[in-house]
Amino acid sequence: MAQVLPTQLERPVDPSREVRPARRRRQRRLLRRIPVWLSVGLLLVVVLYPQLWMVLGSFKTQAEFLADPTWALPDRLYLDNYVTALTRGNLAVNYRNSILVTVPSLFLMITLGLGAAYALEIMVWKGRNTTLLLFLAGIMVPGQMILVPLFIAYFRIGLTNTLWPLIITYTVMGLPLVVFLMAAYLRSIPREIFEAATVDGAGPLRSFFVIAVPLMKNAILTLSLVEFFSVWNDLLIALTFTTDRDLATIQVGLLSFSDEYGQTEYGPLFAAISINIVALMILFVFLNKKIMAGLAGGAVKG
Amino acid sequence: MNSVLGDRRTIIILLGPALLLYTLVKVVPVAWSLGLSFFEGNSLRGFEFVGFANFVEFAGDDAALQSVLVTLRYALLATTSQVALGYALALLYVFVLRRGSAFLRTVVFFPMVLPGVATALLFRNLVAVGPNQGPVNDLLNLLGLDSVEFLASGDLTLATALVMNLWQSMGFYAVLLYAGLLDIPEETIESARLDGANGLRLVRHVVLPLSLPILLSSIIFSFNSTLKVFDGLLALNNGGPGTETSPLTLYMYRTAFEYAEYGYGSTIAFVLTLLCLVFTLAIFRSSRRKVED
Amino acid sequence: MPTVPSSRAVGVTATALLTALSLTACGGQPGSGDGDDAPTSFTVLSANEHASMRTDLDALAAGPCAAQHEALPLEHQTVAQADVVQQITLLAGQGALPVHYIAGTSQVRPDGDLGTAGLVLDYQEALTEVGAWDDVLPAASSTITNVYGHMVSLPYQYNLEGIWYNKQLFAEHGIAEPQTFGELMAAADTLQAAGVIPFTAGGSDGWPLTRWIGMHIVREVGPQALTDIRDGRARLTDPAYVAGARALAEMAEKEYFGEGVVSRGGDQSANLFLTGEAAMTYNGSWMLNDINDPATNQIGPENVGLMPFPAVEGGAGSRDHWAANAGTAYAMLPDRYSPEVGDWLACIAGNWGSQALSSGSLSGFRVNEEVADVPAPTAMVQEQIEQIDQTVLWFEALFDAESNSLASTNVSLLVSGQMSPEDYMADLQESIDSNAR
Repeated sequence: MAQVLPTQLERPVDPSREVRPARRRRQRRLLRRIPVWLSVGLLLVVVLYPQLWMVLGSFKTQAEFLADPTWALPDRLYLDNYVTALTRGNLAVNYRNSILVTVPSLFLMITLGLGAAYALEIMVWKGRNTTLLLFLAGIMVPGQMILVPLFIAYFRIGLTNTLWPLIITYTVMGLPLVVFLMAAYLRSIPREIFEAATVDGAGPLRSFFVIAVPLMKNAILTLSLVEFFSVWNDLLIALTFTTDRDLATIQVGLLSFSDEYGQTEYGPLFAAISINIVALMILFVFLNKKIMAGLAGGAVKG
Repeated sequence: MNSVLGDRRTIIILLGPALLLYTLVKVVPVAWSLGLSFFEGNSLRGFEFVGFANFVEFAGDDAALQSVLVTLRYALLATTSQVALGYALALLYVFVLRRGSAFLRTVVFFPMVLPGVATALLFRNLVAVGPNQGPVNDLLNLLGLDSVEFLASGDLTLATALVMNLWQSMGFYAVLLYAGLLDIPEETIESARLDGANGLRLVRHVVLPLSLPILLSSIIFSFNSTLKVFDGLLALNNGGPGTETSPLTLYMYRTAFEYAEYGYGSTIAFVLTLLCLVFTLAIFRSSRRKVED
Repeated sequence: MPTVPSSRAVGVTATALLTALSLTACGGQPGSGDGDDAPTSFTVLSANEHASMRTDLDALAAGPCAAQHEALPLEHQTVAQADVVQQITLLAGQGALPVHYIAGTSQVRPDGDLGTAGLVLDYQEALTEVGAWDDVLPAASSTITNVYGHMVSLPYQYNLEGIWYNKQLFAEHGIAEPQTFGELMAAADTLQAAGVIPFTAGGSDGWPLTRWIGMHIVREVGPQALTDIRDGRARLTDPAYVAGARALAEMAEKEYFGEGVVSRGGDQSANLFLTGEAAMTYNGSWMLNDINDPATNQIGPENVGLMPFPAVEGGAGSRDHWAANAGTAYAMLPDRYSPEVGDWLACIAGNWGSQALSSGSLSGFRVNEEVADVPAPTAMVQEQIEQIDQTVLWFEALFDAESNSLASTNVSLLVSGQMSPEDYMADLQESIDSNAR
C-alpha cells in the first residue's frame, strides 16, 4: 500500500505538468491507477469473502458444515435455518431489547460526551487537564472490574432485572472514548472560531450549540457509529446484569444455538447472524449517506 | 473573551452530568475493585485483608508473568499493525479515492459489526485442518507444503489472532483517522504542493504533523484496547494451546470469576491498569518531544 | 494552549486514584438470603445453553405437575454456562438466588463457597421426607455424592461414558470388542493400517482428551485412584499416574486421533465417527442425540456399539467400573424451601425420568411411566445403567476449579508433543497443591 499511495497523492491540478499533451497524461494516470485498483480489489476480497462465507453458511445443513471443506458452496438454499433462527428462542424480543438498550445509551453517551469534551477542550479553567485525564484513565481500566461493584449497587437500588443497568453501564463504558476523541477532534478546529464568536457576543452555551455542535456533526456520526457497534455487540455486560430471558439482548440470544455439551447448530446461528448483518448494513449505509451529506454541506471544512 | 470561555455555569452544565455519572458508575467501582486487590475472597465468602500478599504472589506466579508477556507481545504487534494500516487506508480514502471512498469505507469497516463469536468461528474455519480443511491450508498444500495445525501452536495462534484483529479493526481505525484527515484544510495541502512537496514528502512533512493529534489519540486508544484483549483470544483458541496465548485479562477473568478469587483477580487488574498507564505516559512523552521538534 | 496533558497532571491523577483506593476498602456482604420468606414462584435458574431443561420442566408444569404449577408457578431465569460461577457468587452475595439454581461444581461441595454458607439443600433428606427418594436411581445418587461430596444436585441428566465404536468397521477388520488396553491399541494399529482413523476426540474442548488419562489411571490404580489424589494419599507424579498421561501422548504421537485433533470441535468429532471415518470415540451417552438423528448418523444406529473403557494389564481397576456423569449441579436454597417447593421436588422426582426419556435423553430418575418408541441405542444404554453397581469418576471431577481448567487447557500441549507427560502431571499436581493450601 505504501508504495502505491505516494504517487496517487498528486492532485490533478498540477501546474508543472500542464505543458504535456493531455492524452499521454491521461494514459499515464490510468497506468498509475492500476496498482491502486489492484490493491482496492484485493482489499475487497479479503474483507468481503469472510462475510460472504457467513451468509453462505446460513444456507448449509449441519452435515455440510461438518463434512465439506470450509470454502464449499451450499448444495442448495437450505432455508430451514432461517425458520429455526426465527422460531427458536426469542429473536424478536432479543432485537427489541437490543434496540431499547442501544438507542438511549448512544444518545446519552454522545450528548454527555460532547458537552464534557467542549467544557474540557474549549472552555478555559483550572483543572481541566486533570479532569480530561480522569476520563482518559477510564480507557486504561479493564472493563471487567466494574461489574461486581455495579452488580451490587444496581441490586441494592432495585434496578436488577430491568434494562437500566445495561443502559447506564454502556453509557459510562463509552464515555471515556467519546470524551477523549471529541476533545481530539475539537482540538483540530481552530480556536479562533470560538474566540471570534465570543467577541461577537454569543453566550458560551449558545456558541456550544450553534457553533460546536454543527461543526462536530462528522465526529458525532462517526462516534455514534463506532459506539453503536460496541454496544450492540457486547456480551459481557448483557450477561452479567440480566438473568431474565425477556431482557436478553441479541448477543445473549445467539447463545441459544449452542447446547450444554458445546455443540453448535451452525446453520441457524449463521442465519441469525446474517439477519443481523443485513439489518445493520441497511442502517450503516443510511448513516454513511448522512456523513456524506454533512461533508457536502461543507460544515467541516469551515 | 476569557470570561466567556471560562463561564462557570456553562462548564457545570456541560461537564457536570457526564462527570457525575462517570464518577458514580466508573471511578467509584474501579476504585472499589482496585482496593480489593489488598484483600482475599469474594462477595459470597467475604473479604479478608491481606496487605500486599497478592502482589507478592503475583511476582512469583509463573502463569501471571506468562500472561503479561502474552499481553505485551499482542499489544505491541496489534497496535502497530492496526494503526499503520488504518492510517494507510485513511490516506487512501482522503487523497486517492476522495468522495468515491464511501463504499470502500463501509465495506472495510463492516467486519467490526460482526459479533466476536462469529469472527472467531470464521477464523477457526479458515485455518482448520482435517476433513473440512480451511483455505489457508489449501493454499499451503497448493504450494507443496504440508498442512499446519495453527491452533496447536502458540505462535501461530497469536498470528491468527493478530490477522483476525487486523481484519476486524483496521476499518475502524481508518474511519477514525479519516475524520481527522478531513479536517486538514485543502489550501494547506495545495500550498505545500505548490512548494514542491509531493507523495511521501507531502505525507511526512504536511499531512502527518497536521493529523498528529488524532493519530496520537488513536495510538493511545489502540494500546489501551489491545492491552486488554479478551474476546478474540478467548473465542479463537481459549487462550491456548495450554495457556500460551492467554493474556492478563483472561487470567484475571478466570481468577476472579471462574475460580471465584476476586481479591487476586483485582490484583491482576491493578497490574494491567498500571501497564496501560505506563504505555499511555510513554506515548505522551514521546509525542511532546515530537510536537516540540 | 495545552494540547497534550502534562505528565505531572497524570501523576496527580494517579495519586488521587491511589488515595481513593485506600478509602474504599470495604468488604462485601457475605451470606444467604436475609429472608426465610416462602417463595412466590418456583423459579429455576438454568444454563442458557440447556434448553431441554426448560422445555421438559414446562412439559411437567403443563402435565403431571399442573397442581404444583398452580400453587407455585414455574418461572425461568437463565445464565450463560461460562458465567455460572460469577453469576451465582454475585446473586448469592446479595441473597438473590432463586430457589432452584445451577451452580459450579466446586461451589456446592461441603468446603465450597455455597456449601460453607449453607446455601445447598440436602436432597436425600428432602426427598425422603416427601417420599420420593426411591425415584432417584442408586447409581445416580452415588455419582452425585462422589462428585459433590453430598447429595446436593438432582440427576436431571445421567450419562454413562465409554468408548463408542463402529460395529461394521470392527467386523470388516476382524476386531472383537477389546478387553484390555493392549488389545485396544492393537485394534487401533489394525484400523490405522487399513486407512481408518482409529479414534476421534473433540480436542478443542480439552476434556475429551483428558478422559483418556483419567480412565487409564483408574484402570491401572483402581477405582479410588482419584479420591487418593484429592485426599493426598497419592500424587499425580507417581509413575502409575504419569503412565496415564503417557498413554495419551503415545496415542497422539502415533496419530491415532487423525489430523488436527487439538483444534477439532466436539461436533466435528462426532461427525467423523457418525460418517464412518473414525472407528471409535470416547464420549458420554449424551451422544445418543446425534446417534438417534438420521440426518447426522450415516452409519446407522444398528452399527453403533458402546463398550466400557478396557482394563489395563496388571492394573487394579476393572472393566466393569463404568464412568458416569450426572450433569451440572442444580441446587436448592434451604431457607426458601417451603412445602410447595417440596411438592414440586416430589413431582419432578416422580416424573422427570419418563419426561426426559420421551424427549430422548437419559436421567438419573426412575422411569415410572412406560415410554413408547425408545430408540434402540437409547434402550441399550438404559439397560446398561440398570445393571451397573459401581461407577467411577472422570479425571478432573474432584479437582478445584483452577486445576480443572489447567488439566483441559494443558492437554493440547501434551498431545501435540510440546509438553512431556511428566511435566503435564507435575504442573497439575503443583496447581492442586497450591489450591489446597
